[in-house]
Amino acid sequence: MVTSTNTSDRNVVVKVVDLHKTFGTLEVLRGISLDVHEGDVLTLLGASGSGKTTLLRCINHLEQPTSGETFIDGRPLGFQIHASGRRTNASQSSINALRMEIGMVFQQFNLWPHMTAFENIIEAPLRVKKLPRSEVESFATELLKRVELLDKKDEYPARLSGGQQQRVAIARALAMQPRVMLFDEPTSSLDPELIGEVLGVMRSLAKEGTTMIVVTHEIGFAREVSDRVVLLHNGMIEEDGPPEEVIDNPKSSRSKQFFSSILH
Amino acid sequence: MLPGLWYNFLVFFLVVVFGVVLGLIFSTIRLNTNIAVRAIAAFYIGLFRNAPEYITLVWFLYVPALVLSKLLESNVTFEPLVVAVMALSLSAGAFYAEIFRAGILSVPKGQIEAARATGMSRTLTLRRIILPQAIRQMLPEFFNECVSVFKGTTLVSLVMVPDLVYGVNLVSSYTGQALPLYTGIALIYFFIVFTMTSIAEKLSNPWRDKTR
Repeated sequence: MVTSTNTSDRNVVVKVVDLHKTFGTLEVLRGISLDVHEGDVLTLLGASGSGKTTLLRCINHLEQPTSGETFIDGRPLGFQIHASGRRTNASQSSINALRMEIGMVFQQFNLWPHMTAFENIIEAPLRVKKLPRSEVESFATELLKRVELLDKKDEYPARLSGGQQQRVAIARALAMQPRVMLFDEPTSSLDPELIGEVLGVMRSLAKEGTTMIVVTHEIGFAREVSDRVVLLHNGMIEEDGPPEEVIDNPKSSRSKQFFSSILH
Repeated sequence: MLPGLWYNFLVFFLVVVFGVVLGLIFSTIRLNTNIAVRAIAAFYIGLFRNAPEYITLVWFLYVPALVLSKLLESNVTFEPLVVAVMALSLSAGAFYAEIFRAGILSVPKGQIEAARATGMSRTLTLRRIILPQAIRQMLPEFFNECVSVFKGTTLVSLVMVPDLVYGVNLVSSYTGQALPLYTGIALIYFFIVFTMTSIAEKLSNPWRDKTR
């Protein structure tokens, strides 16, 4: 948790400006603006259907926003602005290049089942970043140690528990050494007794200063680990502030209602 | 008579090769995002999957030749072997296309998203994530279709390609020894197809186990 430095001194890693997303006639995001600074741990909370997951997926362009802008380290994602001021869609390869800077962890883990844990981790650094194999392998080993799964190195995902799979998935995302990590309800499809091990890994990442945006229902985790909590309601930001403010003293009656419904 | 069997193998080989090529082309078209383009593939696949192979075979043997003869006002005929390979390839291609498409669609969307999220391009995702799994998934169906193609090669005797069945038909009508002759070829084909099926099973099993 970074508390000592003033946010304005630190780089903005993710900048979202007036993001809108419409599915058919359903407007899921209605103008979201957000700055995430280096080292920040931002938790996105909200009832189901509030747009948390869609926002996260728009940030790495898995979902193309209907309008609005995303910048990663100041570089526009999914569009480019020409010298004339004209805005056009960016090429697929420029989107791919920026995605390397954004790690993503999914609710369903989404490990590649035809590859071992180790192969899952080295795949992208090796094929996308084209780093030398020896370097990639030693970093992957280090990551597996960090998520305490070195002994499961050569197992296929089908032989791992949900918690183990998710930890491998976190290592896979970290292997690209991204500027920011996105977590989309990382513990929601885990058995209760396996949630702790995944949260443990995330907690240690947060302590090391990893920039993280986390969609979760784990209020305790949000309160303990995040620097900032954003509560979404109907595709708009309802509350935005430090956890002790947003979770423990929410301003609007809607937020009060949300927290009382999930805390009891 | 027995050399006729080589025709079956020749036709089998050619039909599998051309069928797979057609299948790859049309499954790709079928998965295209453009609706109009997709419709072309859907039409081809629908037409040839639902037409009995024998009808396809006879149609291609007579109709194009007839139309061309009328147009050119001369007697046009096609080599039966060429027509047979073409007609059976078109049929098989439609089945292969559906098998390939189903294989590709069997890969869960989340895995593709996980690949794209790391910055993998579409081509790399296809090569490293989709195809290795799709191939595993489609192998049994693929081998089944190959066996069907082999069975289908016996139809070529009907358009005068001198395969084994054609030879037996001929000899049987001269000698009247239908029982031993037809029982004989039934056994021969049974053993060939049985061998192919066993090999197919052996080939597809070890691929499938480790990941589930």
